[in-house]
Amino acid sequence: MTTPASQLNPETVDPKNWTNKLRGRIEGLVPPGQALPARQPIYVASWIYVFGVLTLASLVVVVASGCVLSMGGVAWWHVSSLGHFFNSVHLWSVELTFGFMVVHLWGKFWMAAWRGKRALTWITGILLFGISIGTSFTGFLSQSNFDSQWIGGQAKDGLNSIGAGAFFNVLNPGQMLMWHIVLLPLAVGALTLVHIILVRRHGVVPPLDAELEG
Amino acid sequence: MSALSIVAGAPGRYISWGVLQISVTNATIIAVMIVLFILALVVPFPTHDDEQSKPEGHSR
Repeated sequence: MTTPASQLNPETVDPKNWTNKLRGRIEGLVPPGQALPARQPIYVASWIYVFGVLTLASLVVVVASGCVLSMGGVAWWHVSSLGHFFNSVHLWSVELTFGFMVVHLWGKFWMAAWRGKRALTWITGILLFGISIGTSFTGFLSQSNFDSQWIGGQAKDGLNSIGAGAFFNVLNPGQMLMWHIVLLPLAVGALTLVHIILVRRHGVVPPLDAELEG
Repeated sequence: MSALSIVAGAPGRYISWGVLQISVTNATIIAVMIVLFILALVVPFPTHDDEQSKPEGHSR
């Protein structure tokens, strides 16, 4: 039987060491064994609980197809059948992501999923929904065609009317592309990680009647 | 004229109800999502019978 390294070296248990502090915080994010549990409560045996992970799975396809598109460039899909294929994979995986996300949202809303100290899980989910919409809108602006020009022309009036035009310019395709492939995906990725950690930390919310009976 | 330009030039069909207006395509997608939501609530989830009898949970 091996002995954990933390028991062998006193430096690894020094509470003043920031690495030890950080490791302790990471280890304490979710209860032991709950990061990837093999068992779930019986009420999780419902299709409505599947839509969260379906959203996550389709998001993986979105990111992967987006990475392929970034190699070919923003105009690749206009001149290559392979580029057109990956552009379509990117579009339809986004459509599925939003479809699954909205059904997931409906399910969580009607079961009041913010119960049991899960408010932050709910809030990060709503933020994710909003930022995902912004990410998809900047994608529409990055099509490099007349459609993206028309959308940008329409969007600028609405955004400028509320002052948002002071922070970004929807008529600048270079800026919008950078928002679409760097800033907003980073925000979506980070918030998704926080959302999943919170779900694993507090567990899946029980149905309303289950809590009343308990 | 290519097939693509014919599709791009075709006007969309819209449902109008007072100040509300929605394309037939979007209305259909929303209807399908609502049906999917209802099905997710009523269609039984496949489980192992031996696992279902245990009160504490089940494997997935």
